[in-house]
Amino acid sequence: MTTTIVLQQAINGIVLGSLYVLVALGLTLIYGVLVQINFAHADFVTLGAFAAYFFMHLVGLGYIPSIAVALIVGAAMGWLINASIFTPLRRKNNELLPLIATIGVSVMMQNLMLAWFGPIPYAFETEFSRHVIRFAGIFVSWQNVIIIVVSALTIALLYVFMKFTFLGKALRAVSQDRETAGLMGINPNFLIMLTFVIASALAGMGGAMLAPVLVLTPFAGTSVIVKAFAIVIIGGFGNVEGTILAGLIVGLIESYTTQFLNPGLIDIVVFALLLLMLAIRPTGLISERREENV
Amino acid sequence: MSALLEIAGLELAYGQVAVCRNISLRLDRGEIVALIGANGAGKSTTLRAIAGLLSPRRGTIAFGGRDVTALPSYERSKLGIALVPEGRRVFPFLTVRENLELGGFNSRKDPSTLKRRMERVFAMFPRLSERSSQNAGTLSGGEQQMLALGRAMMSEPQLLCLDEPSLGLAPIIVHDIFQTIRAINAAGTSILLVEQNARHAFETAQRGYVLQTGSVIASGSCATLKRDPRVQEAYLGRTATRR
Ligand SMILES: Nc1ncnc2c1ncn2[C@@H]1O[C@H](COP(=O)(O)OP(=O)(O)OP(=O)(O)O)[C@@H](O)[C@H]1O
Ligand SMILES: [Mg+2]
Repeated sequence: MTTTIVLQQAINGIVLGSLYVLVALGLTLIYGVLVQINFAHADFVTLGAFAAYFFMHLVGLGYIPSIAVALIVGAAMGWLINASIFTPLRRKNNELLPLIATIGVSVMMQNLMLAWFGPIPYAFETEFSRHVIRFAGIFVSWQNVIIIVVSALTIALLYVFMKFTFLGKALRAVSQDRETAGLMGINPNFLIMLTFVIASALAGMGGAMLAPVLVLTPFAGTSVIVKAFAIVIIGGFGNVEGTILAGLIVGLIESYTTQFLNPGLIDIVVFALLLLMLAIRPTGLISERREENV
Repeated sequence: MSALLEIAGLELAYGQVAVCRNISLRLDRGEIVALIGANGAGKSTTLRAIAGLLSPRRGTIAFGGRDVTALPSYERSKLGIALVPEGRRVFPFLTVRENLELGGFNSRKDPSTLKRRMERVFAMFPRLSERSSQNAGTLSGGEQQMLALGRAMMSEPQLLCLDEPSLGLAPIIVHDIFQTIRAINAAGTSILLVEQNARHAFETAQRGYVLQTGSVIASGSCATLKRDPRVQEAYLGRTATRR
């Protein structure tokens, strides 16, 4: 009985954790390249959730295509906002301006969505929510199978991109030393743009898959982003492997806290872990980054 | 003779603080030109301006007969300017091999060329080949210097700018590095060499410029510069002339 519960919650935790990883990876990538926190990231999650909702209900091609649509909408919006707002501000050579602009963009996106979609929560049901597989006393909905498969594929793809392609290596070079990357013939502005597009695409797609478990309002992303920030810090700012590990751990903590303690304690437990990490391992789970090269 | 690099009336500043005033210099195809000067004279600043990391307040930089003053660093790299920056600046969390690959970023669509160039770098510095899958940040100072030089050579530049390649290296390695620099030049790459060690610089280069607090105070063939009393006093040490 207890083993079943532990296994059941492990699966729930991995499902949740994978989604947190998708959201947190974008934050980490942007932080790595720009050394800047993107406060608007949460709203790309919300945008993705709404994009999926409306594509499903208005076009009616089902849930899976709507995840792809959320990804595309996120990517396009990321490109647009970077090109129209962040890039011009970055040219002013003031570190604070782009940071404050991300808060501005967040407020703007929330209020636009509020104007269009209203404050009342949307019920996000998919054709997979009610179909459940059962084995050894454990229940897994098709919805969760889709989440695990799609996130795992996406994370693997991103990993291969970063590790084995020229552009991925250039991206890592820009986040380690932007100036020297320029000397190699790498256009840092192009890679910053690419980072925003990838990060926003991941957030949009994460939103489409989180939507069924969120209270879908124009502020839905905010509830996720606090945990995503914690994951980025626990994983060691800008560290992709650390972020993946931290995301899964936080997902598991959340599901076990819900089961064995009290759902109200989730944030407390997560942030206790965060403080503990900062105290014992301030460079993150996998510490290799951010020493100065002499 | 055709000038590969021609700098005229360059004025460089960090913020409001002027660091270089009215610098003019030229480098012909095939030459090694030395740029010497004391700490803070503006040598690195001049190289940064040539590579496009710092835009000048005034003056022009022409490369291969083309005005490149307004081009960003990544465009200048495509034209054939490479800089081995002060402090080496290898990418610490990329492997040695990845560092080299990025040095050849401009030829990324041509894997066979990259492979050939990497083999040449490994032949030049066998140590790098032994450590090719190690993170560059874990290399010793001398190895990082080799990597920075090898990385710059991966683009097969027309002009190679070197900022104090011997700094902090053991004498035996310094000797090797200068030998390599001469070999690179013999294979057709023009070199602009910044050095504090004037003796080494004059042995390696054909011509030189002497920079003092942001201005060129002397220039000419290395043989002439060696006899210039100001150069002797400031950079070679008087004892050298008495003997
Ligand atoms: N990023 C910077 N911001 C402000 N001032 C700078 C900066 N970099 C260099 N300087 C100043 O510009 C002047 C020239 O510096 P530069 O690095 O070009 O000297 P250098 O000739 O290369 O000296 P060294 O031999 O010590 O490397 C120095 O007075 C230095 O303090
Ligand atoms: Mg210097």
